[in-house]
Amino acid sequence: MPRFMLVTAAARPHWHHAARIVALLGLGLAAAGCNLDLENPNSPPQNEVLSTPDGAFALAVGMQAQFANSIDDYVVTNSLITDEWGTRSRALVSYISLFTGQNIDNSYLVIESPWDNSYQTIRSANTLLANVGTLGFGPALTNQFTALAKLYKAMAFGMLIQQYQSVPIDISVAGPALQPRAVVLDTVLALLQSARTDLGQVTDADIAASRSRLLGAGFDFRNTVNAMLARYQLMAGNYAEAIAAADSVDPNVLSVLSYPIPERNPIEDLAFQLAYVGALKSFVDEAQPGDQRPAYWVDVSAAPLASNPPDSVILPLKKYSDPVNPEPFPLYLPDEMLLIKAEALTRLGQNAQAATLVNDVRTQTSSSVDQPVAGLPALPASALDTQDELLAEIAYERRYELFEQGLRWEDTRRFGAALTTTPTLEFLPVPRSECVTNPSHPCG
Amino acid sequence: MLSHHERFVGLLAAVVLLLPAAVAAQQTGTVSGRITDASTGRPVADAQLRVAGTLLGTTSGDDGAYEITAVPAGAQSITVRRLGYEGTSRTVTVTAAQTTTADFQLRAAAVTLGQVVVSGVGAPAERRVVGNTVETVAGSDVSESPGATSIDQALQGKITGAVISENSGQPGGGVSIRLRGTNSILGGSEPLYVVDGVIIDNSSDALVSLGANASRGNAALSNRLADLDPDEIDHIEVLKGAAAAALYGSRANNGVIQIFTKHGRAGKTHVTVKGEYSLEKTPDFYALNMSPTAGYADVVFGGADSIGAPVQRFDIQPQIFRTGQGTNDQVSISGGNGGTTYYLSGGYDTEQGILRSTDYRRWNARTNLSQQLSDKLQVSLGANYIRSKADFVPEGEQTQGLLTSVIFTPTSYNPTFDKATGSYPYNPVLGPNPFVIMNQFEAPETVARFLGNVTITARPFSHLSLKYLAGVDDYRQEDKYFQPPFSTSSSFTGSVENPAATSRLFNNDLTATYDMEPMSGLGLTSTAGFRYTSNWHETVEAAAGNLPPVTDIVTGAVQTASQSIAEFRTVGWYLEERAAIAGRLYLTGGLNWDASSAFGPDERLQLFPRAGLSWVLGEEPFWKRSIGNVFSSFRLRAAFGETGGQPPGLYSQFNNFVNLNFSGKPGLVASTTAGNDSLKPERQREYEMGFDAGLFKDRAQLEFTYYNKRTTDLVLSVPLPPSTGFLQQFQNIGELSNKGVEIALNTVNVERPSFTWRSRLTYAANRNRIQRLATSADTLLVGYLNAVIEGQPIGVFYGGVYARDANGKIAYKPTVVKINGRDSTVMLPYRGTVTLPDGSTAFANRIIGDPNPDFTATFSNSFDLGKHLQMSVLLDGRFGNDVANFTRRISELFGVGKDTQGEFTGDTIPFTYTLNPNGRSLIYEEYIEDGSFVKLREVALQYLFDKPWIRRFGAQSMTVRLAARNLYTWTNYSGLDPEVNLFSENTVARGVDFATTPLPRQFTLDLTLSY
Repeated sequence: MPRFMLVTAAARPHWHHAARIVALLGLGLAAAGCNLDLENPNSPPQNEVLSTPDGAFALAVGMQAQFANSIDDYVVTNSLITDEWGTRSRALVSYISLFTGQNIDNSYLVIESPWDNSYQTIRSANTLLANVGTLGFGPALTNQFTALAKLYKAMAFGMLIQQYQSVPIDISVAGPALQPRAVVLDTVLALLQSARTDLGQVTDADIAASRSRLLGAGFDFRNTVNAMLARYQLMAGNYAEAIAAADSVDPNVLSVLSYPIPERNPIEDLAFQLAYVGALKSFVDEAQPGDQRPAYWVDVSAAPLASNPPDSVILPLKKYSDPVNPEPFPLYLPDEMLLIKAEALTRLGQNAQAATLVNDVRTQTSSSVDQPVAGLPALPASALDTQDELLAEIAYERRYELFEQGLRWEDTRRFGAALTTTPTLEFLPVPRSECVTNPSHPCG
Repeated sequence: MLSHHERFVGLLAAVVLLLPAAVAAQQTGTVSGRITDASTGRPVADAQLRVAGTLLGTTSGDDGAYEITAVPAGAQSITVRRLGYEGTSRTVTVTAAQTTTADFQLRAAAVTLGQVVVSGVGAPAERRVVGNTVETVAGSDVSESPGATSIDQALQGKITGAVISENSGQPGGGVSIRLRGTNSILGGSEPLYVVDGVIIDNSSDALVSLGANASRGNAALSNRLADLDPDEIDHIEVLKGAAAAALYGSRANNGVIQIFTKHGRAGKTHVTVKGEYSLEKTPDFYALNMSPTAGYADVVFGGADSIGAPVQRFDIQPQIFRTGQGTNDQVSISGGNGGTTYYLSGGYDTEQGILRSTDYRRWNARTNLSQQLSDKLQVSLGANYIRSKADFVPEGEQTQGLLTSVIFTPTSYNPTFDKATGSYPYNPVLGPNPFVIMNQFEAPETVARFLGNVTITARPFSHLSLKYLAGVDDYRQEDKYFQPPFSTSSSFTGSVENPAATSRLFNNDLTATYDMEPMSGLGLTSTAGFRYTSNWHETVEAAAGNLPPVTDIVTGAVQTASQSIAEFRTVGWYLEERAAIAGRLYLTGGLNWDASSAFGPDERLQLFPRAGLSWVLGEEPFWKRSIGNVFSSFRLRAAFGETGGQPPGLYSQFNNFVNLNFSGKPGLVASTTAGNDSLKPERQREYEMGFDAGLFKDRAQLEFTYYNKRTTDLVLSVPLPPSTGFLQQFQNIGELSNKGVEIALNTVNVERPSFTWRSRLTYAANRNRIQRLATSADTLLVGYLNAVIEGQPIGVFYGGVYARDANGKIAYKPTVVKINGRDSTVMLPYRGTVTLPDGSTAFANRIIGDPNPDFTATFSNSFDLGKHLQMSVLLDGRFGNDVANFTRRISELFGVGKDTQGEFTGDTIPFTYTLNPNGRSLIYEEYIEDGSFVKLREVALQYLFDKPWIRRFGAQSMTVRLAARNLYTWTNYSGLDPEVNLFSENTVARGVDFATTPLPRQFTLDLTLSY
């Protein structure tokens, strides 16, 4: 555009001095520049975030942060809706609604947050998967990025289908249709298998080399992928595959999300700072005599807390209580693998092998990693020789081994009559913020 | 890349190098003379003189004298125009190297058709040519406005259809201007300011929180227009809507205020020295509870043991308010010779606020130079440097507010210094001791600013003129907010915030205008132009807590810092064609392509058209034959135009990232607000039409305008399906409209040699309506009660109401309250409820008021009594606007207001804080009051001494002027001032009075000597 000024000026030689001035002004305008493609100086520019190695590392860390910071959304609903947690007097109305199953409003934050946060994690994973191939990384690093993105995407979807009956998968289109759980579960498994394939091309030395920039402290990449595969294969009823995956998880390794100060463990914030929730006393009362695990999770000797509604009796939680050195939150506990195998074997009719595994869990008196130990006597073979007996016992062990890990709601669906408890809600409703904006799923 | 400064300097250098080549030798002479009032013989200042067909011209001085140099020899037509007079022209024969005298006598007239205005950015034109309204305010109306330290203050009551409010009575305080209503929801609503063609910054940066709380948008107490000295203003032109402002493109939705500063005149040197002394005082004090017996709040806050016990009371207002003094000194030197004109001016302004510890000082200097290099080329330079310092005190809802502490604290509290403890007693309610705020808090704001422009005007041959303009507005604003340790409580360790904002604006305009007359009776004026603007605004803040004792800078154990940057650029090209047919019918059409960095890449270039028609019907032969003796002149006009508004967020087009850490590593996550590639300007389309009718041989002129503005594509936050991974996005979705009429009647009521009386009566009504929001059920609440609701005017008050009985009377129910420790049952009103569709009940919120005025009206008068005495009176009224009186509400809740005196005598229902059951604290309807007012805005009396004894002091004349501002207010509003607003310039939150400093009554005495 400045050039047009110059040409105009030059084309009329009789303009004399004025022409020279205009020409100079034209030059001035050219110097002024007219670049309107400014970046936002207050925020990392999107093209750099998406196209540079530094940006990719930051996005991968951010994706893990989104998941780690929303772990409470997953635990709150699943623990309040089942018989794990109760609500304290200060709890918000929405928490009480989850606990009682009454007056649920789909605009409550507890209904919206698990959905919102999972999709934000999924979006970050999608962004990484779409861009990481263009950054000039070597295959080992590229494979770690893709495996990590697939793992977190799978975990986010896995959480979603434990809470909502049907959820969108393809979020690249506006107003995506909701997909049934089975379809989503297939997606989760495909992602995890693909992550495992990617990781297969990576050496332990490669993982160690990228840990300082890419991975969280205490996170074990391979074991987490296998553990998640075991968890979701079991959910899908692929028992042989679940056993195989669980077998490849190292029982002496813990894989966690860590929260060094100033980060905070979200459960600590919820249970101790905000003081919204406590453990239902029935969790302690219904344990078998001598079971050491309730004392791992709950302050069993404390006086009951004021509860709301007042007819429930709750005790203070104990795990994840340290605000000064926030405790990490496990992505899975190694004993879950034993119980997955036991359940899969039971459902395949291999009761004797299953019984052995159940007793392995019951009779633990110590663990090389931070997880509860039961310290119970082994049950006689006669008590574990039918499928019903085994399932009931596995459900019991899962209740005490995997307290407040967000798994109990799904257990109530899988074990059915083998559990004596009924969740207060079958599923969470589709959040209001989704159904008012997503035309393929209008509010009901 | 070069910085703007370097470019600017480079450009200057280039221009200077070219100059010698451009100067051309020519036979020229000088024309000089005097302009006087035909009736009174009084000199007429500020008359515009022009030599036809050249760039040459000047304006007359205070003594009516003028001089034009370098006029080509031969017969030259000279035209004279002046607001309030009939235009005239005459042919003068200029002799080379000699001075030719030409005096002009002007006849008073109310019509303004001949006046030259700058309509938008095109070439200046006579008003009769322009189809849209351009309101002009003469420089003397601005500079002589008593007590007005800023231009916007001085404009109050002088622009038809503008609602101009001073937000707070603190000196250096901000003013907000609404031209033809509010035009945005999330964006700003203040007009664009242009000084000598350069767009300047008028931001009101709330760098520290002194008015509304941070959670409510941090209203600022100042705005940057206050930096300009009204004494330097030649005249102001106001473009009120899109029809007029289309060539300002994407920044003009709120209208444009074009300010022109004074320039020198050829001829003898004029020196003007002005000294002014002013006094200001509060219009009133709050009426406080001075009952000799204790009320509920006194007991609760420890001022008394039981209700009804005798109690000593303290009204500290006389110690907080004072009579402030001010001075305003200004010197200007202007003149010109040999093709050079200059205007140099310097000013020093001081103002003490009516609240002790509030203060304002401003130093400013201006140089306007112009050099006629030949009759074809002129270069001008304007430079203005300003320093100002304001000392503010927190007010409004700040718990540290000075007046706030008065209404929050029962009068049984004695805040005076306690000699026994060596400290001021802590406030029993909340916030610090008011004397600590007054004496120990510091909230200064200092500004250093440079405004500069270079203009080159060339007329290479008689039909073509070229104008190039480069301008900068460069300033640094530093604020500070210091709260000493132990000031608010015994555990408070002190805090200091020290933010600084740096702002740079750069303008670059090139305009070419070509005049031709292709056939007799048809004149065409074509304009093409280019404009580039660039804005940079950066804020860096340093703050500290845990301060060492007796220290007020950023040091101490806890220190924080932050930085933010806002940058945007626009580029525009425009074309305008004006056709004059038979000298009576004028058509204008224009197109403006404007692009902004804030628009998404898909919507970068935007087209803003305009069109106008003006038909001077009164000059048609058939008109003259028929009703020409009733309407001595008549003009019909109509105009249409579109403008834009920048999206509220400059970076809303991007997917921005925010920092989120994991496992001790810094990470990035996408903001939950999705970027919008296709974000475009908020677009306004305005139609206006009207007429100007001269009556009684142009002794009266009636101006009527109807306008209809619709602003679409308003940027609002729209919720997205969360499954996208985002929660919301800014989209161009909202719509609002403003419709209204503006009527002005200018009259010359009396015109005799010994007595002239002119007056101007205006009426303006605007109806605002929110046409569309993101979803029709949306209610955006801004500030406290101001709401944006579809189908309603913007900013209506929306809040809790009383339950009422079947007759509409407030319902009462028995309620148990504790009085002196005993439960008593009293009948009390309660908050109204509504039944929801599902059968449950909820508290009712209703629209309970509207801060937008039904209409505004002004009546200004000027009287000339003989040759020497002049008087002027300006009444400024606003009608039908509601004000939310939070001052009264809070003072009642805390038992401070006078109304609470009768609380237990059966006279009134209990108000106080502790006696506030039944959801009363959320009932607002009784605090919405009619804020209609008429203010005696300005009244002035001046006497001109031109007797020979004056000359003994070397002066030509001396003017003594006694004036007052806001001398009296007629209103039913119960608070101190219905005009103030807690939320300053906020677009939506209007009409909220919350311990806001009232506008003072000001008296000024000034003396002007002319040499």
